[in-house]
Amino acid sequence: MSLWRSALLVFQKDLQIELRTGEVTVTTGLFATLVTLLASLSFFIDENSARLVAPGVLWVSVAFSGVLAMSRTWTRERENDVFRGLMLSPAPRSALYVGKLLGTLVFLGAVESVVVLEVGLLFNLDLLPILGPLTLLLVLGTIGFAAAGNLFAAMGVRTSARDLVLAVALFPVIAPALLCGVVGTRELLTGAPLSEIWSWIKILIAFDATFLTAGVLLFEPLLSD
Amino acid sequence: MGAAFAFVQTKGLSKVYGPTRALTSVDLRFEAGQVTSVEGPNGSGKSTLLALLGMLARPSKGDIWFGDRHVGRSPSLRASVGVLAHAPMIYPDLNAHENLRLFAQLYGRPHTQRDLAPFAERFALGSWAERPARTYSRGQLQRVALARAVLHAPQLLLLDEPSTGLDVASVERLITAVQQERARGAIIVLVTHDDPLRDRLADRRIALAQGRVAETPT
Repeated sequence: MSLWRSALLVFQKDLQIELRTGEVTVTTGLFATLVTLLASLSFFIDENSARLVAPGVLWVSVAFSGVLAMSRTWTRERENDVFRGLMLSPAPRSALYVGKLLGTLVFLGAVESVVVLEVGLLFNLDLLPILGPLTLLLVLGTIGFAAAGNLFAAMGVRTSARDLVLAVALFPVIAPALLCGVVGTRELLTGAPLSEIWSWIKILIAFDATFLTAGVLLFEPLLSD
Repeated sequence: MGAAFAFVQTKGLSKVYGPTRALTSVDLRFEAGQVTSVEGPNGSGKSTLLALLGMLARPSKGDIWFGDRHVGRSPSLRASVGVLAHAPMIYPDLNAHENLRLFAQLYGRPHTQRDLAPFAERFALGSWAERPARTYSRGQLQRVALARAVLHAPQLLLLDEPSTGLDVASVERLITAVQQERARGAIIVLVTHDDPLRDRLADRRIALAQGRVAETPT
């Protein structure tokens, strides 16, 4: 069975469970909303300060809720030792990684669309003119973040310190992606055109390519005894 | 369906985890149509042997042969292995049919409702099987797990403490299913501390002690 077909099966399964339980999107969505709301109450002074603070709030919400989402989706694989069942199947093992990654991207995409709306409303910012480049930053940032995060989360399936692995070890690794996301968003909010944030986008593309390749190549060796 | 082969053989099989030698130079042969029980105290290497046969771990040394095919993490050979363990390896938020359909697809097997109906009948998956697996009793979970383990007609069936927590009726159902698999010509390796189960199923017994093949029990 091909990598893509197997990955789509894993993705469809995650989607089916999520549509039934709503567990990941509801939990992470509420968490991200809470972070955004508290930050707006604490930091919103005027429109100028909002343009400087909002990017950080947006990406902190994305990062924290993303860790929560990945932790939860991989916990599902641990219940009943079902991950072992997947590893026993003839599906390419990297397909399990790709399938989980696709699921994370969809769940986080849904949460991010709500968070962007909330940041716009709570910080009184008109995000519509920059929605295209902002979406590009978020998509690229999320791909890199999820590519690295799923690799760490998968390793955590077989360790007792899984939450520690994800929360502590992941953030230093994804720091470049978060940095590019925050700075790129801040530039956009202060009026920079797409051409001026191109260097951040290029770094994000390189980051994504690195971690997607690493994830596909390292998933099986890292999870084998 | 995976590859057909008449025997599984290990040659000089060793596995080391850090400073621990889990298996040391194990030479074994398992034949088709035979249930071989592997016995030994905790830590004797039984689970490691099953992990190696199931291609979940790589040998530190030595080889495993499925007939004339060398096991080198080939996905096509993974399709020849079925595993039933204490943990059912099914998704709690999917029902029995959804779980079976998913695994049938992953094994490249026919997966329509009609294709899977014989399994539902064979393992008596009643109306309860429409509910999420989270709500099943231990016996019901193990029935679904058994269906999952054999739905791709594996040539090698690994049973790791399959009767733990089962009531008498469920154990009888398990024994019948294993006998059917043996009659089909599957190679069956059974690890259990359940002596009555072993006595009823095992055609041959081997023992492991401290990672080595010990004297065959009588």
